[in-house]
Amino acid sequence: MDNDLERLQQTALEEIQQARSKLALENLRVKFLGKAGEISRLSENMRNLPKEDRPRIGKLLNEIRNAVTGALDSRLDAIEAEGTAQVLSDLDETLPGTQFRVGGLHPLTLLQDQAIRILRRLGFALADGPDVETEWHCFDALNTPANHPARNDSDTFYLPDGRLLRSHTSTVQIRTMCAQKPPVRVIGPGAAYRRDEIDATHLNQFNQLEGLYVDRDVSVADLKGTLEYFVRELLSSEVETRLRPHYFPFTEPSFELDIRLPGIQDGKWMELLGCGMVHPAVFEQINANRGDSAYDPEDWTGFAFGIGLERLAMSLFGLPDIRLLIENDQRFLAQFAR
Amino acid sequence: MKLSLNWLKEMLPLTCSVPEIVEALTFAGVEVEGRQQRGAFFEKVIVAQIESFEPHPNADRLSVCRVNDGSGLPRQVVCGAKNFSAGDNVPLALPGAVLPDGEKIRASKLRGTESEGMLCSARELNLAEDAAGLLILPGDAPIGASLSDLYPPDTVLELEVTPNRPDLLSHYGIARDLSAFLDLPPAKLPEISDNSDRVREDPGVVRLEAPEGCPFYTAHVIRGLRVRPSPGWLRQKLEAVGLRSINNVVDVTNFVMLELGQPLHAFDLSKIRGAIVVRMADPGERLRALDEKEYELIPDDLVIADTELALGLAGVMGGEGSGVTATTTDVLLEAAYFNPGFIRRTSRRLGLISESSFRFERGIDPEAVTRASSRAIDLFLQLAGGEADESVVVGGAVPDWNRTVEMRPERCHKLLGMNVPDSAQLLVRLGLKPAGGNRWEIPSYRQDLAREADLIEEVCRMAGIQKISSRLFASATESSSADRTHDELMRLRQRLAGLGLFEARSLTLIDEQALEYTLAPTSDALALRNPLTEDQKILRPSLVPGLVRAAERNLNRGSSSVAVFEIGRVFKVGTPEESVSLAVLVCGERQSKSWNQGSAIFDLFDLKGILKTALSRDVIFMREDPISFAPLLCGIVDAEGNSVGKVGQLRPSLAKEIGARDPVLVAELSPTPGANLQRFRYRPLDRFPAVTRDVAFVANRELKYQLVLDAFASANEPLLVDVRLFDLFVDPSGEKVPRNKKSLACSLTYRAIDRTLTQEEANAAHSRLKSQIVERLGVALRE
Repeated sequence: MDNDLERLQQTALEEIQQARSKLALENLRVKFLGKAGEISRLSENMRNLPKEDRPRIGKLLNEIRNAVTGALDSRLDAIEAEGTAQVLSDLDETLPGTQFRVGGLHPLTLLQDQAIRILRRLGFALADGPDVETEWHCFDALNTPANHPARNDSDTFYLPDGRLLRSHTSTVQIRTMCAQKPPVRVIGPGAAYRRDEIDATHLNQFNQLEGLYVDRDVSVADLKGTLEYFVRELLSSEVETRLRPHYFPFTEPSFELDIRLPGIQDGKWMELLGCGMVHPAVFEQINANRGDSAYDPEDWTGFAFGIGLERLAMSLFGLPDIRLLIENDQRFLAQFAR
Repeated sequence: MKLSLNWLKEMLPLTCSVPEIVEALTFAGVEVEGRQQRGAFFEKVIVAQIESFEPHPNADRLSVCRVNDGSGLPRQVVCGAKNFSAGDNVPLALPGAVLPDGEKIRASKLRGTESEGMLCSARELNLAEDAAGLLILPGDAPIGASLSDLYPPDTVLELEVTPNRPDLLSHYGIARDLSAFLDLPPAKLPEISDNSDRVREDPGVVRLEAPEGCPFYTAHVIRGLRVRPSPGWLRQKLEAVGLRSINNVVDVTNFVMLELGQPLHAFDLSKIRGAIVVRMADPGERLRALDEKEYELIPDDLVIADTELALGLAGVMGGEGSGVTATTTDVLLEAAYFNPGFIRRTSRRLGLISESSFRFERGIDPEAVTRASSRAIDLFLQLAGGEADESVVVGGAVPDWNRTVEMRPERCHKLLGMNVPDSAQLLVRLGLKPAGGNRWEIPSYRQDLAREADLIEEVCRMAGIQKISSRLFASATESSSADRTHDELMRLRQRLAGLGLFEARSLTLIDEQALEYTLAPTSDALALRNPLTEDQKILRPSLVPGLVRAAERNLNRGSSSVAVFEIGRVFKVGTPEESVSLAVLVCGERQSKSWNQGSAIFDLFDLKGILKTALSRDVIFMREDPISFAPLLCGIVDAEGNSVGKVGQLRPSLAKEIGARDPVLVAELSPTPGANLQRFRYRPLDRFPAVTRDVAFVANRELKYQLVLDAFASANEPLLVDVRLFDLFVDPSGEKVPRNKKSLACSLTYRAIDRTLTQEEANAAHSRLKSQIVERLGVALRE
């Protein structure tokens, strides 16, 4: 019996060692450990053994069972490891990755949001106004003479009731000041409209970002500092800026801000935005509308600016045709989704 | 406006370079939009005289000329032109000369004949467009002289003058401002006769019947003059700034306008019947203007008439019949001040903008009217002879100009953020006069200076904006509702982009037909009164037409899939009139075939999943009656049962029209209230394992899945935490499942929050739910 047992263990361990597959191992497990397996058969034979031999043989059988189980497990680990190693060594890591859909935001949204984030850092809050405006908000309140050409049917879109599509986002200045007392520090992004033919350099609708800061001691120095910071952050710390005298009915003094940056418009000066100190006549209009003197021009001063995003996008991204911005060609949009 | 630097330098001792002048103008507030070289800025081109010429022996079209180049030695030049005679003076480019187009001239043989140089046309020298033949120079041009003596090199700048500065619309005006800006000696004008004590009123000559429109009119008559071509200097000045020379009389009126800024008009005296009458037009009155067009006038139009008929549109354009011609001998010179509003109205109404109307509508210097008239008369006498009448006939009076404006230095300091100690000197340089206290007398040519801020602007401009040092503030501001909306919408945009969609931005204005291209057709759209084109007439009530257009464009350009969204304003009659909308359009391949995945086409459930994921809330589609645009149309309802929008599939014929081969699915909804506003709140994590049980059943084909969900929900089973449909099967052959039935399989998840569920508990709950759907929906379980 003892010899049988010893032989059995030896045979089992040898066969297990030689097994080459999981299936072979499973067969061996059945052969040796299964209900009808050899170890079970020997266990059943125990009752034919003399009583005094039973504990010893029983113990031996147990040891064999453990040894066989251990051998099966470790052989299985080994076979699996070999299998994994084979799979890994066969793997072609140069196959292409799984395709996921890629989407993206419109370049004007990206630009607008970037501009907003910069100005928020200076403490500007967002403000809003409707696209459909009254002539008062768009022109009168902004000190635009009654016979100013911008009011003409040929320049501005009108609705039958006399209202219009705002020709600039400066209306947001008026909306804000009519609704809240100074100090005011707001930016208003939005659409503005001009009655222009659409071509490679013109749209009849464009996006502007308006800014307004009114406080007790706002000066041209603040205007300069703010806009210089803004363009540095938006474009590059390398950017050069210059303010040029200009004319807008609603600011006095009025300026245009030019920028110069290698890589944009061949490094030539480029007109970026219009700005100036809020015209006292605008404050007077606001007060008349509010029915108070919250914006007494003797007490309050302010600056305002307005930047057109399409032109900037064209220079910044090198767009040859402004219509790319309204065509929504996915190949174009994908270029900004990287 | 075009500015000749040569002309400018006659008035102002400018020694700086062209770029420096450009920079000075820029910082004086005049944008320089273009720059052009004029005149003979090349060397080795001289005046030569053709002594004789004969046909080229080997070429019919060429001539061999013998020319006198002033050197005393004869020179032979071959020439292709025909427009000359012996004795003509012409430009000769000597060997070594470089023409404006870069052509280098060298001595060579032309068809075997020696040619020592080239005779040039005006175009070859970039002196005029005329290429018809050689440029014939004046007979008195000194032979051998450089052409630059005849055509001095000049730089002409194209200026953009802002509408508040009409005083800059002349060479003298620019010189005056630059002299102040650069602190140079005052701009100087030639001696002009003073006729101010020779004026008289005479209603027989000038009658003002519309003093509102024309408060001041002067007429000076000059008799016996000779109309002829203008001398070279005058022609050159006009041509330099883009005007064509006509004759000495007309040229003088244009010259004075460009010199002093005062538009003038010369009438042929013999064409005026009776007196000059300045009046409003009669209704229906017609006028043939100098542009050879006939205009119908209205009583809003100011006209210059004689006793019988309108002769011209005041300040805008003269009439055809009354102008100066080659046979004119007596001229009536008009110099007047017209009210800007009147001129603007007529000019806009008729779409007629002239050099004259451009200046009058911005406002000319009323005190310079007579000076301009005298300047023109001086030039007439000089260039055309004749004799001026003893007196100038005037109507009305120079509008009273007397304005003082206060400027407090401390206010200036405050607004500029910079102290300008010499602000008073700066204003004096600009021609303002101290009027006591902080008040300043404004010259009549600066009517734009109306209040303190205007003077501060002048101080700022003169002192130099560059000198103001920048200051950067920053302080806290409360966020607004616009801030919050912006942030929510940006988050939504980013989620949609993350799901593989591109953001589109379309125009607000759409065509009327596009109103049909929406899920909720409306007749309540806002329309423009004055659209530019018919296809941009309506303020979009929906973003869908824009996305359909975008889909069409992409499909037509070969894209296999379109997945776009737009977030933007839409408009409708009513309140609110404007609101923010979100639209999504998908069509074509959602996933293209690859080595490790199959292809898939966008369907309604992809769109539903996109909306649910982007909005992070459940969306329920509820079928509605189809419309012509969308044969499949559903309302979109949120979990609280609020209707938030619509979703649909485009009519197949329309889909085909835009180039789609697969279903085009589109949704539009209001992204606003609460969409992404839900704030985060911690919920304890599940601590105990869940148990899943599947149920498969056969139901009628038309049974909506929502009813299955409702049936499960109605059991109020507290242990049920999730239901997931994992199989849906219909068998058109009817073999495995009858044709009018479908087989569904759901996986139900059970979990208790406070303990591990036993098998028995899970089984009991599962049985209850199974019987619930059998009882409520009459489905047959598949065990």
